[in-house]
Amino acid sequence: MRGIFTPVTNLRRQVFKKVAELAFSGEFDQIDELPYRIIKGEVASYRESVFKERAIVAERIRLACGLNLRSASEHAPISRDFNKALTTERVFELPLVDVIPFACNACDTVHYEVSNNCQGCLAHPCTSVCPVKAVSLVDGRSTIDPEKCLKCGRCASVCPYSAIIKRERPCAAACGVGAIESDDLGRARIDHEKCVSCGQCLVSCPFAAIADKSQIMQLILALKGEGKVFAEIAPAFVGQFGPLATPSKVKAALLEIGFDGVYEVAQGADDVSVSEAEEFLEKVPEELPFLATSCCPAWSVFAKRTLGEKLAGCVSCSLTPMVATARIIKAEHPDSRVCFIGPCAAKKLEAFRRTVRSDVNYVITYEELMGIFAAKEIDFSKDCEEPIGDATETGRNYAVSGGVAEAVVSCIKTKHPEREVSIERAEGLANCKKMLTLAKAGKRNGYLLEGMACEGGCVGGAGTLQPLAKAAAAVRKFASEASRKNKLVDEGQPE
Amino acid sequence: MKPRLDVEVCVCTQCVMNGALDIADSVESLKKLKSQLRLKSSVHVDASRGICDKDKHDCSPLVIVDGERLEKTTSEMVMSKVISAMRKTD
Repeated sequence: MRGIFTPVTNLRRQVFKKVAELAFSGEFDQIDELPYRIIKGEVASYRESVFKERAIVAERIRLACGLNLRSASEHAPISRDFNKALTTERVFELPLVDVIPFACNACDTVHYEVSNNCQGCLAHPCTSVCPVKAVSLVDGRSTIDPEKCLKCGRCASVCPYSAIIKRERPCAAACGVGAIESDDLGRARIDHEKCVSCGQCLVSCPFAAIADKSQIMQLILALKGEGKVFAEIAPAFVGQFGPLATPSKVKAALLEIGFDGVYEVAQGADDVSVSEAEEFLEKVPEELPFLATSCCPAWSVFAKRTLGEKLAGCVSCSLTPMVATARIIKAEHPDSRVCFIGPCAAKKLEAFRRTVRSDVNYVITYEELMGIFAAKEIDFSKDCEEPIGDATETGRNYAVSGGVAEAVVSCIKTKHPEREVSIERAEGLANCKKMLTLAKAGKRNGYLLEGMACEGGCVGGAGTLQPLAKAAAAVRKFASEASRKNKLVDEGQPE
Repeated sequence: MKPRLDVEVCVCTQCVMNGALDIADSVESLKKLKSQLRLKSSVHVDASRGICDKDKHDCSPLVIVDGERLEKTTSEMVMSKVISAMRKTD
Protein backbone atom coordinates (compact mmCIF):
# COMPACT_ATOMS: atom_id res chain seq x y z
CA MET A 1 0.00 0.00 0.00
CA ARG A 2 2.61 2.49 -1.05
CA GLY A 3 1.69 6.13 -0.64
CA ILE A 4 -1.55 5.48 1.27
CA PHE A 5 -1.74 5.67 5.03
CA THR A 6 -3.48 2.52 6.22
CA PRO A 7 -3.91 0.77 9.59
CA VAL A 8 -0.89 -1.32 8.55
CA THR A 9 1.29 1.79 8.30
CA ASN A 10 -0.11 3.01 11.58
CA LEU A 11 0.68 -0.22 13.43
CA ARG A 12 4.24 -0.30 12.14
CA ARG A 13 4.90 3.28 13.22
CA GLN A 14 3.28 2.84 16.64
CA VAL A 15 5.65 -0.05 17.28
CA PHE A 16 8.69 2.06 16.35
CA LYS A 17 7.53 4.93 18.52
CA LYS A 18 6.76 2.79 21.56
CA VAL A 19 10.04 0.92 21.35
CA ALA A 20 11.89 4.25 21.04
CA GLU A 21 10.02 5.61 24.07
CA LEU A 22 10.96 2.54 26.05
CA ALA A 23 14.60 2.87 25.01
CA PHE A 24 14.72 6.53 26.06
CA SER A 25 12.90 5.97 29.35
CA GLY A 26 14.96 2.93 30.30
CA GLU A 27 11.91 1.31 31.93
CA PHE A 28 12.65 -2.02 30.33
CA ASP A 29 10.44 -3.96 32.73
CA GLN A 30 7.51 -2.36 30.88
CA ILE A 31 8.22 -4.33 27.70
CA ASP A 32 5.40 -6.83 28.30
CA GLU A 33 2.99 -3.88 28.61
CA LEU A 34 3.71 -2.49 25.14
CA PRO A 35 1.22 -4.60 23.17
CA TYR A 36 -1.51 -3.35 25.55
CA ARG A 37 -0.51 0.25 24.92
CA ILE A 38 -0.59 -0.22 21.15
CA ILE A 39 -3.72 -2.38 20.96
CA LYS A 40 -6.08 -0.90 23.52
CA GLY A 41 -9.36 -2.17 24.93
CA GLU A 42 -11.09 -5.52 24.63
CA VAL A 43 -12.45 -5.33 21.11
CA ALA A 44 -10.39 -6.36 18.13
CA SER A 45 -10.13 -3.73 15.44
CA TYR A 46 -8.13 -5.49 12.73
CA ARG A 47 -8.39 -9.23 13.22
CA GLU A 48 -10.69 -11.82 14.76
CA SER A 49 -9.48 -11.37 18.32
CA VAL A 50 -7.67 -8.81 20.38
CA PHE A 51 -5.40 -11.54 21.74
CA LYS A 52 -4.11 -12.39 18.31
CA GLU A 53 -3.62 -8.73 17.49
CA ARG A 54 -1.49 -8.33 20.60
CA ALA A 55 0.45 -11.52 19.91
CA ILE A 56 1.37 -10.21 16.46
CA VAL A 57 2.28 -6.79 17.79
CA ALA A 58 4.44 -8.54 20.38
CA GLU A 59 6.40 -10.22 17.58
CA ARG A 60 6.80 -6.90 15.81
CA ILE A 61 8.10 -5.37 19.03
CA ARG A 62 10.67 -8.14 19.33
CA LEU A 63 11.77 -7.59 15.73
CA ALA A 64 12.00 -3.85 16.33
CA CYS A 65 14.31 -4.61 19.24
CA GLY A 66 16.43 -6.76 16.93
CA LEU A 67 15.34 -10.09 18.43
CA ASN A 68 14.29 -13.22 16.55
CA LEU A 69 10.75 -14.24 15.70
CA ARG A 70 9.20 -17.02 17.70
CA SER A 71 6.92 -19.81 16.61
CA ALA A 72 3.32 -19.75 17.83
CA SER A 73 4.02 -23.14 19.33
CA GLU A 74 6.31 -21.84 22.04
CA HIS A 75 5.07 -20.08 25.11
CA ALA A 76 7.12 -17.09 26.05
CA PRO A 77 6.56 -13.53 27.24
CA ILE A 78 8.15 -10.81 25.10
CA SER A 79 10.56 -10.15 27.92
CA ARG A 80 12.19 -13.56 27.65
CA ASP A 81 15.83 -13.11 26.51
CA PHE A 82 15.00 -9.40 26.17
CA ASN A 83 18.24 -8.53 27.93
CA LYS A 84 20.05 -9.54 24.77
CA ALA A 85 18.59 -6.48 23.06
CA LEU A 86 19.85 -4.12 25.75
CA THR A 87 23.25 -3.39 24.33
CA THR A 88 24.83 -0.90 21.99
CA GLU A 89 26.23 -3.71 19.84
CA ARG A 90 24.53 -5.24 16.82
CA VAL A 91 22.20 -7.96 18.06
CA PHE A 92 20.15 -9.06 15.11
CA GLU A 93 20.82 -12.29 13.31
CA LEU A 94 19.78 -13.23 9.79
CA PRO A 95 17.21 -13.45 8.30
CA LEU A 96 16.54 -9.73 8.29
CA VAL A 97 13.13 -9.79 6.60
CA ASP A 98 10.71 -12.50 7.60
CA VAL A 99 7.07 -13.51 7.63
CA ILE A 100 5.31 -13.60 10.99
CA PRO A 101 3.62 -16.92 10.18
CA PHE A 102 0.53 -16.58 12.36
CA ALA A 103 -0.16 -13.10 10.97
CA CYS A 104 -0.15 -14.38 7.38
CA ASN A 105 -3.50 -14.64 5.63
CA ALA A 106 -2.27 -17.56 3.50
CA CYS A 107 -3.47 -15.81 0.36
CA ASP A 108 -3.96 -17.88 -2.79
CA THR A 109 -0.94 -18.23 -4.99
CA VAL A 110 -1.16 -16.88 -8.51
CA HIS A 111 -4.08 -18.17 -10.61
CA TYR A 112 -6.92 -16.94 -12.82
CA GLU A 113 -10.53 -17.06 -11.77
CA VAL A 114 -13.81 -16.37 -13.56
CA SER A 115 -15.90 -13.92 -11.55
CA ASN A 116 -19.65 -13.30 -11.47
CA ASN A 117 -19.12 -10.72 -14.14
CA CYS A 118 -19.05 -13.47 -16.79
CA GLN A 119 -22.07 -13.17 -19.08
CA GLY A 120 -21.42 -16.38 -21.01
CA CYS A 121 -21.31 -14.23 -24.12
CA LEU A 122 -21.63 -15.48 -27.65
CA ALA A 123 -18.14 -14.36 -28.58
CA HIS A 124 -16.46 -15.85 -25.49
CA PRO A 125 -12.99 -14.91 -26.80
CA CYS A 126 -11.48 -16.38 -23.61
CA THR A 127 -11.75 -19.85 -25.09
CA SER A 128 -10.34 -18.83 -28.48
CA VAL A 129 -7.14 -17.33 -27.12
CA CYS A 130 -6.25 -20.05 -24.63
CA PRO A 131 -3.25 -21.93 -26.00
CA VAL A 132 -3.93 -25.10 -23.99
CA LYS A 133 -7.73 -25.35 -24.10
CA ALA A 134 -7.99 -24.69 -20.39
CA VAL A 135 -10.98 -22.38 -20.79
CA SER A 136 -14.35 -23.70 -21.80
CA LEU A 137 -18.01 -22.72 -21.51
CA VAL A 138 -19.79 -24.85 -18.93
CA ASP A 139 -23.49 -24.21 -18.21
CA GLY A 140 -23.32 -20.90 -20.01
CA ARG A 141 -20.32 -19.66 -18.08
CA SER A 142 -16.63 -19.55 -18.75
CA THR A 143 -14.67 -22.05 -16.65
CA ILE A 144 -10.94 -22.45 -16.22
CA ASP A 145 -9.40 -25.87 -15.67
CA PRO A 146 -6.67 -25.21 -13.12
CA GLU A 147 -4.81 -28.38 -14.10
CA LYS A 148 -4.31 -27.20 -17.65
CA CYS A 149 -4.00 -23.45 -17.07
CA LEU A 150 -0.57 -21.94 -17.82
CA LYS A 151 -1.45 -18.68 -16.03
CA CYS A 152 -0.57 -16.70 -19.16
CA GLY A 153 -3.44 -14.28 -18.60
CA ARG A 154 -4.57 -14.13 -22.23
CA CYS A 155 -8.20 -14.94 -21.36
CA ALA A 156 -8.27 -12.15 -18.80
CA SER A 157 -6.88 -9.62 -21.24
CA VAL A 158 -9.52 -10.30 -23.92
CA CYS A 159 -12.65 -10.60 -21.78
CA PRO A 160 -15.03 -7.77 -22.78
CA TYR A 161 -16.53 -7.71 -19.27
CA SER A 162 -13.24 -7.87 -17.36
CA ALA A 163 -14.74 -10.97 -15.79
CA ILE A 164 -11.54 -12.99 -15.48
CA ILE A 165 -9.38 -11.89 -12.61
CA LYS A 166 -5.86 -12.66 -11.56
CA ARG A 167 -5.55 -13.78 -7.96
CA GLU A 168 -2.14 -13.22 -6.53
CA ARG A 169 -0.34 -12.78 -3.25
CA PRO A 170 0.61 -9.14 -2.84
CA CYS A 171 3.94 -10.10 -1.28
CA ALA A 172 4.83 -12.40 -4.18
CA ALA A 173 3.70 -9.79 -6.71
CA ALA A 174 5.99 -7.24 -5.08
CA CYS A 175 8.95 -9.61 -4.97
CA GLY A 176 11.13 -9.18 -8.04
CA VAL A 177 13.37 -12.16 -7.29
CA GLY A 178 10.70 -14.85 -6.82
CA ALA A 179 11.63 -15.50 -3.20
CA ILE A 180 8.12 -16.03 -1.82
CA GLU A 181 7.08 -19.67 -1.45
CA SER A 182 4.58 -21.45 0.80
CA ASP A 183 4.90 -23.40 4.01
CA ASP A 184 2.91 -26.55 4.80
CA LEU A 185 -0.08 -24.46 5.92
CA GLY A 186 -0.16 -22.45 2.71
CA ARG A 187 1.30 -19.37 4.36
CA ALA A 188 3.96 -17.26 2.71
CA ARG A 189 7.53 -18.22 3.45
CA ILE A 190 10.62 -16.40 2.25
CA ASP A 191 13.36 -18.33 0.51
CA HIS A 192 16.31 -16.62 2.15
CA GLU A 193 18.70 -17.93 -0.48
CA LYS A 194 16.91 -15.81 -3.06
CA CYS A 195 15.84 -12.84 -0.92
CA VAL A 196 17.96 -9.69 -1.21
CA SER A 197 16.05 -7.82 1.54
CA CYS A 198 14.73 -5.01 -0.63
CA GLY A 199 11.75 -4.88 1.74
CA GLN A 200 9.08 -4.48 -0.93
CA CYS A 201 7.10 -7.47 0.38
CA LEU A 202 6.86 -6.00 3.85
CA VAL A 203 5.35 -2.76 2.62
CA SER A 204 3.03 -4.63 0.23
CA CYS A 205 1.49 -7.13 2.65
CA PRO A 206 -2.04 -5.91 3.44
CA PHE A 207 -2.09 -8.05 6.59
CA ALA A 208 1.13 -6.59 8.00
CA ALA A 209 2.50 -10.10 8.23
CA ILE A 210 6.02 -9.33 7.06
CA ALA A 211 8.50 -7.26 9.02
CA ASP A 212 12.19 -6.62 9.23
CA LYS A 213 14.46 -6.29 12.22
CA SER A 214 15.49 -2.93 13.55
CA GLN A 215 18.32 -1.42 15.56
CA ILE A 216 16.25 1.37 17.14
CA MET A 217 16.86 0.02 20.64
CA GLN A 218 20.61 -0.38 20.31
CA LEU A 219 21.00 2.98 18.55
CA ILE A 220 19.11 4.86 21.26
CA LEU A 221 21.13 3.16 23.98
CA ALA A 222 24.27 4.29 22.15
CA LEU A 223 22.91 7.84 21.81
CA LYS A 224 22.24 7.89 25.56
CA GLY A 225 25.63 6.41 26.34
CA GLU A 226 29.14 7.77 26.51
CA GLY A 227 30.77 7.29 23.11
CA LYS A 228 30.32 9.53 20.09
CA VAL A 229 27.73 8.56 17.49
CA PHE A 230 27.56 10.22 14.08
CA ALA A 231 24.63 10.15 11.68
CA GLU A 232 25.03 9.80 7.94
CA ILE A 233 21.75 10.58 6.24
CA ALA A 234 20.94 9.39 2.73
CA PRO A 235 19.78 12.04 0.21
CA ALA A 236 16.19 10.76 -0.01
CA PHE A 237 15.50 12.26 3.44
CA VAL A 238 14.32 15.60 2.04
CA GLY A 239 10.62 16.06 2.63
CA GLN A 240 10.21 12.72 4.44
CA PHE A 241 9.44 14.21 7.87
CA GLY A 242 6.88 16.77 6.76
CA PRO A 243 6.92 20.37 5.56
CA LEU A 244 8.39 21.73 8.81
CA ALA A 245 11.44 19.47 8.60
CA THR A 246 13.75 21.39 6.29
CA PRO A 247 17.24 19.88 5.84
CA SER A 248 18.75 22.23 8.37
CA LYS A 249 15.99 21.48 10.89
CA VAL A 250 16.45 17.75 10.38
CA LYS A 251 20.11 18.25 11.23
CA ALA A 252 19.19 20.19 14.37
CA ALA A 253 16.73 17.43 15.31
CA LEU A 254 19.37 14.72 14.88
CA LEU A 255 21.73 16.64 17.15
CA GLU A 256 18.90 17.06 19.65
CA ILE A 257 18.23 13.32 19.90
CA GLY A 258 21.86 12.76 20.76
CA PHE A 259 23.96 12.46 17.62
CA ASP A 260 27.34 14.17 17.80
CA GLY A 261 27.37 15.22 14.18
CA VAL A 262 25.56 14.78 10.87
CA TYR A 263 26.98 13.97 7.45
CA GLU A 264 25.29 13.77 4.07
CA VAL A 265 25.63 10.37 2.43
CA ALA A 266 25.60 12.33 -0.83
CA GLN A 267 29.11 13.39 0.12
CA GLY A 268 30.24 9.76 -0.10
CA ALA A 269 28.16 9.41 -3.25
CA ASP A 270 30.25 12.16 -4.83
CA ASP A 271 33.39 10.08 -4.31
CA VAL A 272 31.62 7.00 -5.65
CA SER A 273 30.65 8.87 -8.85
CA VAL A 274 34.27 9.78 -9.45
CA SER A 275 35.47 6.28 -8.75
CA GLU A 276 32.84 4.63 -10.96
CA ALA A 277 33.62 7.11 -13.73
CA GLU A 278 37.31 6.21 -13.52
CA GLU A 279 36.47 2.53 -13.46
CA PHE A 280 34.30 2.92 -16.55
CA LEU A 281 36.91 4.89 -18.48
CA GLU A 282 39.65 2.47 -17.53
CA LYS A 283 37.93 -0.86 -18.04
CA VAL A 284 35.00 -0.57 -20.49
CA PRO A 285 35.05 -2.05 -23.07
CA GLU A 286 38.60 -3.51 -22.95
CA GLU A 287 38.50 -5.42 -19.65
CA LEU A 288 34.80 -5.48 -18.92
CA PRO A 289 32.01 -5.62 -21.52
CA PHE A 290 29.85 -3.23 -19.44
CA LEU A 291 29.77 -1.65 -16.01
CA ALA A 292 26.90 -1.92 -13.54
CA THR A 293 26.52 0.58 -10.70
CA SER A 294 26.97 -0.77 -7.21
CA CYS A 295 25.28 1.60 -4.77
CA CYS A 296 21.93 -0.19 -4.41
CA PRO A 297 22.80 -3.24 -2.31
CA ALA A 298 19.74 -5.30 -3.26
CA TRP A 299 20.47 -4.70 -6.93
CA SER A 300 24.21 -5.39 -6.70
CA VAL A 301 23.74 -8.68 -4.83
CA PHE A 302 21.07 -9.72 -7.30
CA ALA A 303 23.13 -8.60 -10.32
CA LYS A 304 26.23 -10.53 -9.22
CA ARG A 305 24.11 -13.61 -8.66
CA THR A 306 22.29 -13.30 -11.99
CA LEU A 307 25.37 -12.50 -14.07
CA GLY A 308 27.24 -15.51 -12.73
CA GLU A 309 30.88 -15.83 -11.78
CA LYS A 310 32.27 -14.85 -15.16
CA LEU A 311 30.51 -11.50 -15.38
CA ALA A 312 30.17 -10.67 -11.67
CA GLY A 313 33.17 -8.35 -12.06
CA CYS A 314 31.04 -6.10 -14.24
CA VAL A 315 29.32 -4.84 -11.10
CA SER A 316 31.44 -1.90 -10.02
CA CYS A 317 33.79 -2.60 -7.14
CA SER A 318 33.55 0.98 -5.88
CA LEU A 319 32.44 1.45 -2.30
CA THR A 320 28.78 2.23 -1.79
CA PRO A 321 27.96 5.80 -0.71
CA MET A 322 27.05 4.47 2.75
CA VAL A 323 30.47 2.91 3.26
CA ALA A 324 32.39 5.75 1.61
CA THR A 325 30.71 8.27 3.92
CA ALA A 326 31.22 6.05 6.97
CA ARG A 327 34.93 5.90 6.20
CA ILE A 328 35.12 9.70 5.90
CA ILE A 329 33.48 9.94 9.34
CA LYS A 330 35.72 7.32 10.93
CA ALA A 331 38.82 8.99 9.51
CA GLU A 332 37.79 12.29 11.09
CA HIS A 333 36.52 10.76 14.33
CA PRO A 334 38.42 7.51 14.88
CA ASP A 335 36.66 6.22 18.00
CA SER A 336 33.13 7.00 16.98
CA ARG A 337 30.17 4.94 15.88
CA VAL A 338 28.29 5.56 12.66
CA CYS A 339 24.56 5.28 12.02
CA PHE A 340 23.28 5.22 8.46
CA ILE A 341 19.80 6.69 8.12
CA GLY A 342 18.12 5.84 4.85
CA PRO A 343 15.03 4.64 3.03
CA CYS A 344 16.34 1.13 2.64
CA ALA A 345 15.90 -2.30 4.19
CA ALA A 346 18.71 -3.84 2.13
CA LYS A 347 21.25 -1.43 3.63
CA LYS A 348 20.72 -3.23 6.94
CA LEU A 349 21.91 -6.37 5.24
CA GLU A 350 24.80 -4.57 3.58
CA ALA A 351 25.98 -3.30 6.97
CA PHE A 352 25.86 -6.91 8.17
CA ARG A 353 28.56 -7.89 5.65
CA ARG A 354 31.87 -8.82 7.19
CA THR A 355 33.75 -6.11 5.28
CA VAL A 356 31.31 -3.34 6.20
CA ARG A 357 30.56 -4.21 9.82
CA SER A 358 33.35 -2.15 11.30
CA ASP A 359 32.43 0.90 9.18
CA VAL A 360 28.70 1.15 9.78
CA ASN A 361 27.42 0.30 13.26
CA TYR A 362 23.71 1.01 12.88
CA VAL A 363 21.28 1.27 10.00
CA ILE A 364 17.82 2.69 10.53
CA THR A 365 15.13 3.80 8.12
CA TYR A 366 13.39 7.17 7.90
CA GLU A 367 10.26 5.55 9.24
CA GLU A 368 12.14 4.24 12.27
CA LEU A 369 13.77 7.65 12.75
CA MET A 370 10.32 9.25 12.64
CA GLY A 371 9.35 6.95 15.52
CA ILE A 372 12.40 8.21 17.43
CA PHE A 373 11.55 11.86 16.66
CA ALA A 374 7.96 11.27 17.80
CA ALA A 375 9.11 9.54 20.99
CA LYS A 376 11.44 12.45 21.79
CA GLU A 377 8.72 14.97 20.84
CA ILE A 378 10.93 16.75 18.35
CA ASP A 379 9.01 19.61 16.76
CA PHE A 380 11.51 20.87 14.15
CA SER A 381 11.41 24.38 15.57
CA LYS A 382 15.17 24.73 15.82
CA ASP A 383 17.33 25.62 12.87
CA CYS A 384 20.91 24.54 12.62
CA GLU A 385 23.36 27.28 11.78
CA GLU A 386 25.57 25.14 9.61
CA PRO A 387 24.10 23.57 6.49
CA ILE A 388 23.58 19.80 6.58
CA GLY A 389 26.45 19.28 4.16
CA ASP A 390 28.21 20.37 1.04
CA ALA A 391 27.41 17.55 -1.36
CA THR A 392 26.93 18.16 -5.08
CA GLU A 393 23.77 18.16 -7.15
CA THR A 394 24.43 14.78 -8.78
CA GLY A 395 25.42 13.23 -5.45
CA ARG A 396 22.10 14.25 -3.92
CA ASN A 397 20.21 12.98 -6.95
CA TYR A 398 21.43 9.42 -6.27
CA ALA A 399 18.16 9.01 -4.41
CA VAL A 400 16.04 9.30 -7.54
CA SER A 401 16.09 6.61 -10.19
CA GLY A 402 18.42 7.60 -13.03
CA GLY A 403 20.45 9.75 -10.67
CA VAL A 404 23.39 7.40 -10.22
CA ALA A 405 24.03 6.92 -13.93
CA GLU A 406 23.57 10.67 -14.41
CA ALA A 407 26.20 11.38 -11.75
CA VAL A 408 28.72 8.95 -13.21
CA VAL A 409 28.18 10.30 -16.74
CA SER A 410 28.48 13.84 -15.44
CA CYS A 411 31.92 12.97 -14.00
CA ILE A 412 32.99 11.25 -17.24
CA LYS A 413 31.89 14.28 -19.26
CA THR A 414 33.75 16.66 -17.00
CA LYS A 415 36.97 14.81 -17.75
CA HIS A 416 36.26 13.79 -21.34
CA PRO A 417 33.55 15.99 -22.84
CA GLU A 418 33.82 14.15 -26.16
CA ARG A 419 33.14 10.70 -24.76
CA GLU A 420 29.69 9.28 -25.50
CA VAL A 421 28.31 6.91 -22.89
CA SER A 422 25.34 4.65 -23.51
CA ILE A 423 23.29 4.12 -20.40
CA GLU A 424 20.44 1.87 -19.57
CA ARG A 425 18.59 1.78 -16.31
CA ALA A 426 15.98 -0.34 -14.61
CA GLU A 427 13.95 0.12 -11.46
CA GLY A 428 12.23 -2.68 -9.60
CA LEU A 429 14.03 -6.03 -9.40
CA ALA A 430 11.79 -7.69 -11.99
CA ASN A 431 12.82 -5.04 -14.53
CA CYS A 432 16.43 -5.30 -13.39
CA LYS A 433 16.29 -8.98 -14.20
CA LYS A 434 15.24 -8.26 -17.79
CA MET A 435 18.06 -5.76 -18.19
CA LEU A 436 20.57 -8.25 -16.80
CA THR A 437 19.39 -10.98 -19.15
CA LEU A 438 20.09 -8.70 -22.12
CA ALA A 439 23.46 -7.71 -20.71
CA LYS A 440 24.39 -11.31 -20.10
CA ALA A 441 23.52 -12.13 -23.69
CA GLY A 442 26.04 -9.53 -24.85
CA LYS A 443 23.45 -7.00 -25.94
CA ARG A 444 24.54 -4.21 -23.63
CA ASN A 445 28.25 -4.13 -24.30
CA GLY A 446 29.85 -0.77 -23.73
CA TYR A 447 26.95 0.34 -21.52
CA LEU A 448 26.73 1.80 -18.08
CA LEU A 449 23.89 -0.04 -16.34
CA GLU A 450 22.05 1.49 -13.43
CA GLY A 451 19.90 -0.81 -11.34
CA MET A 452 17.56 0.24 -8.54
CA ALA A 453 15.71 -2.43 -6.59
CA CYS A 454 12.84 -0.12 -5.71
CA GLU A 455 10.58 1.60 -8.19
CA GLY A 456 11.48 5.24 -8.41
CA GLY A 457 14.87 4.61 -6.82
CA CYS A 458 15.71 5.12 -3.14
CA VAL A 459 12.82 7.58 -2.69
CA GLY A 460 10.56 4.54 -3.23
CA GLY A 461 12.37 2.46 -0.62
CA ALA A 462 10.64 0.34 2.00
CA GLY A 463 11.52 2.69 4.85
CA THR A 464 10.12 5.92 3.44
CA LEU A 465 7.12 7.91 4.69
CA GLN A 466 6.04 10.01 1.71
CA PRO A 467 4.56 9.11 -1.67
CA LEU A 468 7.08 8.62 -4.44
CA ALA A 469 6.33 11.56 -6.78
CA LYS A 470 6.32 14.11 -3.98
CA ALA A 471 9.50 12.73 -2.44
CA ALA A 472 11.34 12.68 -5.78
CA ALA A 473 10.39 16.31 -6.46
CA ALA A 474 11.62 17.35 -3.00
CA VAL A 475 14.97 15.60 -3.54
CA ARG A 476 15.48 17.19 -6.96
CA LYS A 477 14.70 20.62 -5.59
CA PHE A 478 17.18 20.23 -2.73
CA ALA A 479 19.80 18.87 -5.15
CA SER A 480 19.41 21.89 -7.42
CA GLU A 481 20.42 24.11 -4.50
CA ALA A 482 23.88 22.53 -4.39
CA SER A 483 26.81 24.73 -5.34
CA ARG A 484 28.21 22.46 -8.04
CA LYS A 485 27.22 19.62 -10.31
CA ASN A 486 29.83 17.05 -9.40
CA LYS A 487 33.02 16.77 -7.44
CA LEU A 488 35.35 17.21 -10.40
CA VAL A 489 33.87 20.52 -11.51
CA ASP A 490 35.66 22.68 -8.94
CA GLU A 491 38.98 20.98 -9.32
CA GLY A 492 40.09 23.02 -12.28
CA GLN A 493 38.21 20.92 -14.81
CA PRO A 494 35.93 22.55 -17.36
CA GLU A 495 32.23 21.79 -16.90
CA MET B 1 -17.64 35.14 -5.48
CA LYS B 2 -17.37 31.43 -4.96
CA PRO B 3 -17.48 30.51 -1.30
CA ARG B 4 -14.26 28.94 -0.07
CA LEU B 5 -13.88 26.20 2.51
CA ASP B 6 -10.69 26.29 4.55
CA VAL B 7 -9.11 23.07 5.75
CA GLU B 8 -6.07 23.25 7.96
CA VAL B 9 -4.04 20.09 8.57
CA CYS B 10 -1.56 20.12 11.44
CA VAL B 11 1.91 19.00 10.38
CA CYS B 12 3.59 18.55 13.74
CA THR B 13 5.77 15.46 14.15
CA GLN B 14 3.03 13.30 15.71
CA CYS B 15 0.51 14.30 13.05
CA VAL B 16 2.92 13.66 10.14
CA MET B 17 3.83 10.27 11.58
CA ASN B 18 0.15 9.44 11.87
CA GLY B 19 -0.61 10.31 8.26
CA ALA B 20 -1.45 14.04 8.24
CA LEU B 21 0.05 14.60 4.80
CA ASP B 22 -1.98 11.72 3.40
CA ILE B 23 -5.11 13.38 4.76
CA ALA B 24 -4.09 16.68 3.14
CA ASP B 25 -3.60 14.85 -0.17
CA SER B 26 -6.96 13.14 0.03
CA VAL B 27 -8.70 16.47 0.60
CA GLU B 28 -6.76 17.94 -2.33
CA SER B 29 -7.89 14.99 -4.43
CA LEU B 30 -11.52 16.04 -3.96
CA LYS B 31 -10.87 18.84 -6.42
CA LYS B 32 -10.69 16.22 -9.16
CA LEU B 33 -14.13 14.92 -8.19
CA LYS B 34 -15.72 18.34 -8.35
CA SER B 35 -18.18 17.47 -11.10
CA GLN B 36 -19.12 14.05 -9.69
CA LEU B 37 -19.72 15.56 -6.27
CA ARG B 38 -21.50 18.56 -7.80
CA LEU B 39 -19.65 20.97 -5.55
CA LYS B 40 -20.01 24.65 -6.16
CA SER B 41 -17.55 25.94 -3.60
CA SER B 42 -13.81 25.47 -3.64
CA VAL B 43 -11.59 23.96 -0.98
CA HIS B 44 -8.31 25.36 0.23
CA VAL B 45 -5.90 23.10 2.10
CA ASP B 46 -3.22 24.50 4.37
CA ALA B 47 -0.68 21.96 5.59
CA SER B 48 2.20 24.15 6.62
CA ARG B 49 1.96 24.71 10.37
CA GLY B 50 2.01 22.68 13.54
CA ILE B 51 -1.15 23.55 15.45
CA CYS B 52 -1.36 20.75 18.03
CA ASP B 53 -0.99 21.80 21.63
CA LYS B 54 2.03 19.81 22.76
CA ASP B 55 1.13 19.90 26.44
CA LYS B 56 -2.28 18.31 25.96
CA HIS B 57 -3.15 14.72 25.12
CA ASP B 58 -2.17 13.27 21.74
CA CYS B 59 -4.91 14.27 19.31
CA SER B 60 -3.02 13.53 16.09
CA PRO B 61 -3.82 13.83 13.26
CA LEU B 62 -5.52 17.14 13.97
CA VAL B 63 -7.53 18.82 11.21
CA ILE B 64 -9.60 22.02 11.32
CA VAL B 65 -12.44 22.06 8.80
CA ASP B 66 -14.18 25.41 8.42
CA GLY B 67 -13.23 26.35 11.96
CA GLU B 68 -14.28 23.02 13.47
CA ARG B 69 -11.54 21.14 15.29
CA LEU B 70 -11.37 17.41 14.52
CA GLU B 71 -9.07 15.16 16.54
CA LYS B 72 -7.59 11.73 15.75
CA THR B 73 -8.83 11.96 12.20
CA THR B 74 -8.60 9.63 9.23
CA SER B 75 -8.83 10.40 5.52
CA GLU B 76 -12.38 9.12 5.23
CA MET B 77 -13.53 11.11 8.25
CA VAL B 78 -12.08 14.38 6.94
CA MET B 79 -13.23 13.86 3.36
CA SER B 80 -16.84 13.24 4.35
CA LYS B 81 -16.75 16.24 6.70
CA VAL B 82 -15.39 18.43 3.93
CA ILE B 83 -17.97 17.25 1.42
CA SER B 84 -20.89 17.81 3.75
CA ALA B 85 -19.54 21.26 4.65
CA MET B 86 -19.15 22.14 0.98
CA ARG B 87 -22.67 21.07 0.21
CA LYS B 88 -23.91 23.33 3.01
CA THR B 89 -22.14 26.33 1.54
CA ASP B 90 -23.83 25.72 -1.82
